Amino acid sequence: MSGSHQAGATVKARAELALNDEFLRKAVKFTTERLRNGKKKASEEHGNWDEWRERGKQIRLHTIAHLDYYLNLFVDNARANGVHVHFANTAEEAVKLTLDIAEHANAKSVVKSKSMVTEELHLNHALESIGVEAIETDLGEYIIQLAGEMPSHIVIPAIHKNRYQIAELLSKEAGYTLPPDTTALAGFVRKKLREKFLEADIGMTGCNFAIAETGSMVLFENEGNARMVSTVPKTQITLMGMERIIPSWEDLEVMATLLPRSATGQKLTMYMSGITGPRRAEDADGPDEMHIIIVDNGRSLQLGDPEFQELLNCIRCGACLNACPVYRHIGGHAYGSTYSGPIGAVLTPSLNKNIAEWDDVANASSLCGACYEACPVKIPLHDMLVYLRRRKVESGNGSKLESIGMQGFATVMGNSSRLGGVLRLGKLGQKLVVRSGVIRTKLGPLKGWNTYRVTPSLPKESFRDRFDTLDQELKQGLKQMDPAMQSRMEQLVQQRKNNGDSGKGGHGHG
Amino acid sequence: MKVSLFITCLSDAIYPRVGEAMVRLLAKYGISMQFPTVQTCCGQPAFNSGYWKEARESAKTILDAFEDSDFVISPSGSCTGMIHHYPKLFENEPVMLKRAKALESKSYEFTQFLVQVLGVTDVGAAFPHKVTYHPSCHGSRILGVKDEPLALMKQVKGLELVPLPFAEDCCGFGGTFAVKMADISGAMVTEKADHVLETEAEVLVGLDMACLMNIAGNLRYRNEPVRVMHLAELLYEGVKEA
Amino acid sequence: MAEPTAHEQWLAKLETESKTRQEQFMNGISQRLGHPRMTEKPQHPFRGAPDFWKAFEWSEDERIRAFTDNFVSVGGHVARLDTMDDAKQFIADKAQEMSAKFVIRQNQPELDALGLENALPDAKVSVWNTDPEQYWRARAAEADFGVVIADHAVAYTGSVTVLSGPNKGRSVSLLPTVLIIIIPVERLKTKLGEVLTSFDEAGREKLPAGIHFITGPSRSSDIENDLTIGVHGPGIVYALLVG
Repeated sequence: MSGSHQAGATVKARAELALNDEFLRKAVKFTTERLRNGKKKASEEHGNWDEWRERGKQIRLHTIAHLDYYLNLFVDNARANGVHVHFANTAEEAVKLTLDIAEHANAKSVVKSKSMVTEELHLNHALESIGVEAIETDLGEYIIQLAGEMPSHIVIPAIHKNRYQIAELLSKEAGYTLPPDTTALAGFVRKKLREKFLEADIGMTGCNFAIAETGSMVLFENEGNARMVSTVPKTQITLMGMERIIPSWEDLEVMATLLPRSATGQKLTMYMSGITGPRRAEDADGPDEMHIIIVDNGRSLQLGDPEFQELLNCIRCGACLNACPVYRHIGGHAYGSTYSGPIGAVLTPSLNKNIAEWDDVANASSLCGACYEACPVKIPLHDMLVYLRRRKVESGNGSKLESIGMQGFATVMGNSSRLGGVLRLGKLGQKLVVRSGVIRTKLGPLKGWNTYRVTPSLPKESFRDRFDTLDQELKQGLKQMDPAMQSRMEQLVQQRKNNGDSGKGGHGHG
Repeated sequence: MKVSLFITCLSDAIYPRVGEAMVRLLAKYGISMQFPTVQTCCGQPAFNSGYWKEARESAKTILDAFEDSDFVISPSGSCTGMIHHYPKLFENEPVMLKRAKALESKSYEFTQFLVQVLGVTDVGAAFPHKVTYHPSCHGSRILGVKDEPLALMKQVKGLELVPLPFAEDCCGFGGTFAVKMADISGAMVTEKADHVLETEAEVLVGLDMACLMNIAGNLRYRNEPVRVMHLAELLYEGVKEA
Repeated sequence: MAEPTAHEQWLAKLETESKTRQEQFMNGISQRLGHPRMTEKPQHPFRGAPDFWKAFEWSEDERIRAFTDNFVSVGGHVARLDTMDDAKQFIADKAQEMSAKFVIRQNQPELDALGLENALPDAKVSVWNTDPEQYWRARAAEADFGVVIADHAVAYTGSVTVLSGPNKGRSVSLLPTVLIIIIPVERLKTKLGEVLTSFDEAGREKLPAGIHFITGPSRSSDIENDLTIGVHGPGIVYALLVG
């Protein structure tokens, strides 16, 4: 773990750094807006988007609810295809297995395509520690690898860098000055990495989906590097989260409909590859030897937990990052972990069961629900953030000060006459600070709020003070209700009774 | 028919004019709103911060207040949205759970009630001003209130509705978020206010006083003269004008 | 049978370990899910796309139009040709226009019949996997043109599917600078699902090692979200719709 995200110890401190980095904010806003609009356009053009989302959710729910069956089926089939399958409960085990394979392959270098799991395991450093060069080949990943950073977006890893910064990084690598021109920069990387692909002993990939019924793994990508990595080197190692399973190729149509549209607004990524085992004996390319390492690393903690099991439905499209107003302002590094944005804010603490060590990243959300609305498999991330906060409080790891404040809240709000008393006190107290109807002081508890706003003052009368007078006035000469209106209301009340007094009032979908 | 006002603590304490506008508007249709005074706060600040025990204390006042009501109307999509969380909040208390579900089934945000229940879109108002509208997150996303306010505004004579850029983006309020993550929240509300100013509207209207207090606070801080109102206020003022 | 090598022994050891771990892993999952180990195939009522989608189908003209629009919109090129002879001419013209020196093609009868070797006198045309001594990946990497025949194509997404085999290298559609894909029009389907379900129907044992959907030239938007074409895979792709 290295890079700028280390600069602050808390999400608040890291966010502050990001908020003061004008360039970063502009870059992240620009790209997320573009991606967000792309998704909107693509989903509208495709049509019936909510039905597809619902289908995607049902497929994921079904698979995860029967994961013991489907994962086992996948493993048996993959093995029958000639794949060497391995299991890792922890990150350490996954790293150990990978290094063991690399050593037995006498590997000098590994070419990698984009994989969030390998980021999670910090695999590159582990490989380097045994003298194996690990080369990221996705353009964005290659850039941040040269910069010694972590990805700040799960789909666009170098979203926080501009072409001038990138030209500088690549020029250093080239040994001569490259112009800050996108085509020239990409051209340099193509040439440079071509050699690496042809030399490498091992190709390493992640896995977007694994098809249980045929033991195949599926990769979505645009550059062609994932195809390179799984075609050219002699050995292929695939690291996959244990939850990546879908039952069939038929189900892949739904995922292929949701994933690219949600991620980048594409109808399909330029390449979608289904790989079923190592090369056949007569094939002249493809890996001779193929390993799949199935990684738990905290994922099974969500299984059987009704509040968090749906997290395993995530297809890693990044739409929640693009939709999130907080992510847009602070960027990915402020989240301080491999996964950023709303999904990261929930996933990171969920993968780590030590509640006491949870950062306050779950607090870095206004709970606006944009993530849920954007999610192609309808994961209620905004609700999960609240559950995380509750778990932290209930385990006794909440903030002491806040806890005292909340007890005060309960005392006042638990009884309307105490609330009335507090309002009267407030009206007295505010006399010291109200100027032209508002409060501007930056002292005390209003500092944070009043750094960006003014606080309204309390009016002479609260609503509860005023209601009786108002009610008296209106009751005089209240006109008769329209009979049609009345009967509609009566009908609604009747309907509700028939439904056993449950259901939603307005046509809510939450 | 017992139609009750769930005033929400913010409108009760700071914006009584919003409650008054609602009560006066509904009186036009022969509805005499009740106001059970035992109500306090929906409990959302505690609920969202993870203090569910404390949230339940507060929520109980709401359940008590509206036990006999037929319709519970609030000027906030967020606070009505909180009532939709009550079944989860009381999931382990069967008696309370039943009451929570009953309350959820009869709770409406103000424009939902006007349009869906009363079937009203034209309140007979005139408001000859340039207006922009911020759809608050909880109202639009949790309750699905999207078309109702637009339908109501469309019928107001003289009202020119200017679309707000990135309207669906959160204003940055988020309850205790605005205090705990003051700088992030500050950046969000500043951006939201920038968008409001871009529209050159005279009036910003919305359905949730918490969000509007946040945006208005930033506009006022910058000494911008945009008027900020709840839609109920706008409609009532428009009825008086017409 | 020869003695197993040290490497094979090591793999066998891993295999044994893996099988033990598999049981523990699956038991752990079923325990967490709170049900006994599932060994029977569960009912899957939501398999595949929604029903309204399964019924959706375009006419051949619509398929050709949609495929063309989609493929062009992502930076690919499409030519509509009547016969394989036209395809040969098209490839010969392009090779001359771009001064292609090395061409690699799949070893398929339809491509044999094209007679590219004669049509491209200035280029060296290699045929995939026809000589066991060759390092074929390098031959593909040095090629200016790769020529393949599509196994399937999908109009709705503008995609072409190529399957690997002894005579059909994965590298041929990946490593050359320019990729030319011949699509017999009758292989062009409306939607992705029609092609994908054929793999379910074929079953595990009949699947090739590589199934690749290609939807245009290689691209990236990783630098300032600015589209760059031809990052690792072919930057120029021609889809020739024949028939």
